[in-house]
Amino acid sequence: MKAPLKTLTDEYVVALREYLEGGGEAPLFRAYQIGRSALGEGLGVLEVAALHQEALVHDLLLLLAPDESPTIAKRASEFFAEALAPFEASRRGFQEATGVLRDLNRQLQLRIEVALKDYQAAQDKLDERRRMEALKDEFISLVNHELRTPLTSIHGALGIINTKLGPELPEEARRLLEIAYRNSRRLARLVDDVLDLQKIESGMVTFEARVQPLRPLLEHAVEANQPYATQLGVTLVLEDAPPDVQVAVDGDRVIQVLTNLLSNAAKFSPSGERVAVSAASGHGCWRIAVTDRGPGIPESFRARVFQRFAQADASTTRPRGGTGLGLSICKAIVERMGGRIGFETEPGHGTTFYFDLPMEGAPGGADASACPESR
Amino acid sequence: MSRKPLSRVLLVEDDPDVQVVASMALSELGGLVVEVCGSAPEALRTAPVFQPDLILMDVMMPGMDGIAALEALRKDPRLAATPVVFMTARAQSHEVARYRELGSLGVITKPFEPESLAETLRGLWEGRDV
Repeated sequence: MKAPLKTLTDEYVVALREYLEGGGEAPLFRAYQIGRSALGEGLGVLEVAALHQEALVHDLLLLLAPDESPTIAKRASEFFAEALAPFEASRRGFQEATGVLRDLNRQLQLRIEVALKDYQAAQDKLDERRRMEALKDEFISLVNHELRTPLTSIHGALGIINTKLGPELPEEARRLLEIAYRNSRRLARLVDDVLDLQKIESGMVTFEARVQPLRPLLEHAVEANQPYATQLGVTLVLEDAPPDVQVAVDGDRVIQVLTNLLSNAAKFSPSGERVAVSAASGHGCWRIAVTDRGPGIPESFRARVFQRFAQADASTTRPRGGTGLGLSICKAIVERMGGRIGFETEPGHGTTFYFDLPMEGAPGGADASACPESR
Repeated sequence: MSRKPLSRVLLVEDDPDVQVVASMALSELGGLVVEVCGSAPEALRTAPVFQPDLILMDVMMPGMDGIAALEALRKDPRLAATPVVFMTARAQSHEVARYRELGSLGVITKPFEPESLAETLRGLWEGRDV
């Protein structure tokens, strides 16, 4: 017999005898305690029954007198019932716990089902969006190809005629040819700009931000656009630009923005004037500014400057040769880089277009709200 | 750098009008000897015979595209060393980088300037690693 069992048997015998002899609460309570101990020891109901049996046959039968036997038998069964009570309670607790667990389980299952349905719906939506995006992507790439192929032969054919036969053509034909050739080039630029804007705005373009010195980007943009400005008799000048400033940007895109701003500034400058590029810091940002001495932007047009195909005066479109998308593209690019674009203008004196780039290492990084609204 | 000047160019382009314009730009304006193929498989058959110094090839062609054609050329020992220049609708800088990685000598954007097309190819030809 295992030690705990032995102890329990002894206790059982003592307590049972006491109860059979005199009744009372105390021995019954002990019976209950013994039952709990048995339960705690991992004993079963049968083993407690065996204790009971053992206690009875051991020596208690001696107590039995014929006239007292019903009382004693009744007490013996009460005692036994008390010793088994913890098992009963445990069983009930177990049943209750099982019930509660079952309910919980059901609720959880329901919630999981709902969550799964939500997830599936979201997944379907996402798949649908991806499908649409892929379709759009494919469409744009097709449009790109399909527009460019005829444009290539038109532009190529006109260019060849212009070069080979231009000098032999009558003056009028040469002028018309020149117009057609120039406009085929413009159409190509327009296709570039429309696709570019579409790609940037739809997030299809990956911006490859790299930490790099700011000044060489500005120098590059000024150099690259000087030939165009020279045709208009305008000089591009890089003014204040701190030599050792680092910015985290996609360099090609910064140059694209500067190219747009510089060619605009040159277009609107009187011949013989200068266009100045500068960079200055403030509020966690670098502000890059392009200043011209042109006619300024009329009050009535200021609100529409960054709108697509908006040009202040329809008559400026042709001689100045823009696509009407340059500033929309600039705005889209600058905003994608977490910056802000704006302008200040004074009719009769000129215009400054500027854009703010988040400073490398500035708190908030690409957070445009760190940049000031205006100077 | 280069020992001999660029003279023979194989043009691979599926659009017949672009074929005419590009080959005229290269031959009439550019003084190059040009052979035209309308598809990549045709180019793979023609190139060993024509023996071009350089192949100017459209990227987007029905059936076998320019990328697949470049891979096939590189597997042919007779053509493995022939430089390939791609012609394409405007590509993003990472696409251009990918074409370079695949072994193309350069990328020409459509629409190209006919007066300077041959000059651009000569520049790429002179500047190539031999």
